[in-house]
Amino acid sequence: MRRWRAGAVARAARGGLARRRVQTLVIGLVVLISTGASVLALGLVVDSSSPFDSAFAAQHGAHLVATVNSGRATAAQLRATGRLPGVTASSGPFPEVTITPMLKGPPGSGGEFAAPPITLVGRAAPGGPLDDLTLEQGRWPQRPGEIVLSRDSGLGLPLGSRITARGRPGSLTVVGIASSIDQSADGWVLPSEIAALRAPGTPATAQMLYRFSSAGSAAALNADAAVLARALPPGAVLATQSYLAVKLQQDSGIAPIVPFVVAFGVIGLVLSVLIVVNVVGGAVAAGYRRIGVLKSIGFTPGQVVATYAGQVMLPALLGCVAGVVLGNVLAVPLLAKTATVYRVGTLLVPGWVDAAVAAGMCCLAGLAAVAPAVRAGRLSAAQAIATGRAPAQGRGYAAHRLLGRLRLPRPVTIGLAAPFARPARTAVTLAAILLGAITVTFAAGLAASLNHVAYGISHARSEPVQVYLESGSGSGGAIKHIGPSTAPPPPPPAAQERAIEAALRAQPGTLRYVAEADLDLNVAGLPGQVPVTAFWGNASWTGYELISGRWFTGPGQADVPTNFLTVTGKAIGDTITVTFGDKQIPVRIVGEVFDTNNRGIDVLTDQQTLAAAGNRPIHLIPGLYDVQLRPGISPTAYAAGLGTALGSGDQISLNGNDPFFLTLLGLIGVLTLLLAVVAGLGVLNTVVLHTRERVHDLGIFKAVGMTPRQTIAMVVCWVAGTGLVAGAVAVPAGVALHRYVLPVMAHAAATNLPASYLEVYGPVELALLALAGLVIAVAGAMLPASWAAGTRTASALRAE
Amino acid sequence: MDTLIRLDDVTKRYDNGGRPALDGVRLEIAAGEAVAVMGPSGSGKSTLLNLVAGLDRPTRGTVTVAGQRIDDLGETGVARFRRQQIGMIFQFFNLLDDLTVADNVLLPAQLAGVPRATARARADELLAALRIAQHASAYPARLSGGERQRVAIARALVNRPALLLADEPTGALDTETGEQIGDVLLDLNRSGQTLLLVTHNPDLAARYAARTVQLVDGKIASDVVNGARR
Repeated sequence: MRRWRAGAVARAARGGLARRRVQTLVIGLVVLISTGASVLALGLVVDSSSPFDSAFAAQHGAHLVATVNSGRATAAQLRATGRLPGVTASSGPFPEVTITPMLKGPPGSGGEFAAPPITLVGRAAPGGPLDDLTLEQGRWPQRPGEIVLSRDSGLGLPLGSRITARGRPGSLTVVGIASSIDQSADGWVLPSEIAALRAPGTPATAQMLYRFSSAGSAAALNADAAVLARALPPGAVLATQSYLAVKLQQDSGIAPIVPFVVAFGVIGLVLSVLIVVNVVGGAVAAGYRRIGVLKSIGFTPGQVVATYAGQVMLPALLGCVAGVVLGNVLAVPLLAKTATVYRVGTLLVPGWVDAAVAAGMCCLAGLAAVAPAVRAGRLSAAQAIATGRAPAQGRGYAAHRLLGRLRLPRPVTIGLAAPFARPARTAVTLAAILLGAITVTFAAGLAASLNHVAYGISHARSEPVQVYLESGSGSGGAIKHIGPSTAPPPPPPAAQERAIEAALRAQPGTLRYVAEADLDLNVAGLPGQVPVTAFWGNASWTGYELISGRWFTGPGQADVPTNFLTVTGKAIGDTITVTFGDKQIPVRIVGEVFDTNNRGIDVLTDQQTLAAAGNRPIHLIPGLYDVQLRPGISPTAYAAGLGTALGSGDQISLNGNDPFFLTLLGLIGVLTLLLAVVAGLGVLNTVVLHTRERVHDLGIFKAVGMTPRQTIAMVVCWVAGTGLVAGAVAVPAGVALHRYVLPVMAHAAATNLPASYLEVYGPVELALLALAGLVIAVAGAMLPASWAAGTRTASALRAE
Repeated sequence: MDTLIRLDDVTKRYDNGGRPALDGVRLEIAAGEAVAVMGPSGSGKSTLLNLVAGLDRPTRGTVTVAGQRIDDLGETGVARFRRQQIGMIFQFFNLLDDLTVADNVLLPAQLAGVPRATARARADELLAALRIAQHASAYPARLSGGERQRVAIARALVNRPALLLADEPTGALDTETGEQIGDVLLDLNRSGQTLLLVTHNPDLAARYAARTVQLVDGKIASDVVNGARR
């Protein structure tokens, strides 16, 4: 008997699934995409909370990277340190060498440049028990003469580039780009290559990697390093690098990004939950009439709940499983981009996220099905059948009357009035479109603001070209020219200034230029030395966007970034003391600017502030010229022409935006699209439900002469009005979210933002963004509208 | 009289292998005629009506209404043809519950793009002629069965169609109300409206139609002129 009853429930559920194929497909699809979006969203949020820790665990990071003198400690002694108390894992020794890479200059320069020294480690393979390297491009070296560069090496060379080590024969071809969570080296070669790269007389060094049982603090790691040094011969340990230092650097770098990722993640989760509840709950509610029929033939309330739970859970379960797979598949490229943004090797969706989302979505789908099924089960058969017919009498009448008066095509006014007959369902649909439209509005503003930030950091728009003197006092920007041995020494600075200025004035694309010197000076109240940039003339156009106050207009004044004010406790109008030579120079702060150089601790002033100090132990000369171009001039072409005029392109550099921002914009784009699709699916479901409820009415409309195009227009208008309202509300909400998140991001980077970085929504943009809700609504409605237009009129008229 | 409806060897199958709902039907109805189509359940009456209305397509054969091969038209074409040339009345009225009586009547005219004032005047004329003008602002749920059917008739006539199709127009009404509706249809036919009436009631057919076509198992069993119509 019990088996017979269970069989009846299963048959009823199967029948419902087969009868409502579209509904079943929509449920499965919505749960699939919502689950996928949730896996991705939660994965991003979790990885954003501690991306370094996630990547460190995934890549088996080492707590300590030690550089040892392999002349003082044998390989056996080094390997034995892996068995010291407190050491849980070790790897090495790997031969290590430091080289000065010589890079080719621009075409026609005839010279090479010495880049800062880099550390190379010899490893046979990227993988290992510790410091599992992530090969991002190319391949691992297979023969001598090949090198894999670290993404963080700073050289920025593409695959195929050639590097020579100063003073060593031969060259190395870049065959791969990799990253190390420990930033353990600037590059890797085969172990046999190291000896050939080591300069004669240089002591041999090796790298050892360690994990410890106690490594949660700098003090613990210092103690571990001390144990290591005591276990080896004196002087064997030359240097150690702690993972905590790398983590600190990474976390502070990514801190500004986390708020926006979290914002997207939270929106994604909320939207997914909303859509699943809407879809599943609506599917059951749409089956009230069938529930009434089941009850009339003897199904108990419990059997009704079981039937509908089963009818929903099968596609929901399949959708969940497929959604977890989808979420992880989408996560691979997206989290790879996020890993780039976060500057960690790899990021993966934690396993517990997959399990939690799958379980959560299944429970959600189950609850969303059970709640209306329980309600229907409690109704009498007649009540359930009556409830399952068209919406309750009286709802939406006023809307039909009012809208019918508008001079719009009749299918449009009928469609626009429809949502008022189902206020609860309309509210859920409105919420879904609203969230999708808010996402679009927020993302548009975020992208525009980040564009401003990118240019604000690079100054690529205001001073795309910079011309360096070949030597300058205290000018960090000067290039050491190392040309062919027969090249003459550079001319004196004054002669270089005259030559550069003459060339700039003669170059047709030059709009204006200003000379600057970059020095490191002491500023009272700040430890160490602080970068001070001194300009010869008006530099207000060079790209330092004002946040408050004004640009300096003469000597004795300065502009500083936000963090300078925060750290020193100063405000605009206060005076700081700069030490130049033996002179203490008071300088009044007149403005706050957007500048992230040196974590926002530097000073911009007129060179007269320093030159007029009187006793000048250091002669102040410019180190470079910042050049602004006329509109429409190509910086590349200009640089080539200027290089010809100067006789060499060595001194010219072009400013460009950090590719990191492009990656960030890509991430924003993908997340926005995904959330808009989820919102669109919510609309699709609403329209499918509505179409099914109103199929008889659709038959009437078609019987009295409504064409397919008019039917599509009417069905689309069922949600178009909701989309318009959602879009109108989403714009101020999205702008408000942007106004909230951007400053939070900026504060995480220890800076305020100029007003222009926030005021990115123009009237045209706002008007277009207001249509986002309409676009989502129409996109979600088109498919079911087409189905409705194709419904056979005779069949529709027979439906009840 | 000109032929308004012609069915040439029309067959309609709903599934392969089963008996066709209509099997090789040939039928001609002249303009101004009132024809009743009768038969037991499953004889193909509603199928025939649906084919004439363009709500369905024949599996084989042709359907011509007012000189137009409607089986050849696309969905848009047949919808446009239907709203201009055909008015339909159903057993259960098929009114839209969230539109007022006036809005229900106006709907075909609005879909056809008839100017507001013209459509409104026509609707008012019909509501008055059918003695339901006082219910223009009411909703169908508040009306009696007979009143609802009158609304349906007004809606069917708003675009002055050449053909009026009625599928069991009195099936959901009591006897007295049914007779009233029948009288309305009779008056329309007397004023020149072509009427194709589907019914299972022989009294209705005899009273309101000049000709009765009997369908059995999808075929025309008989086609007789009624001598007893009032």
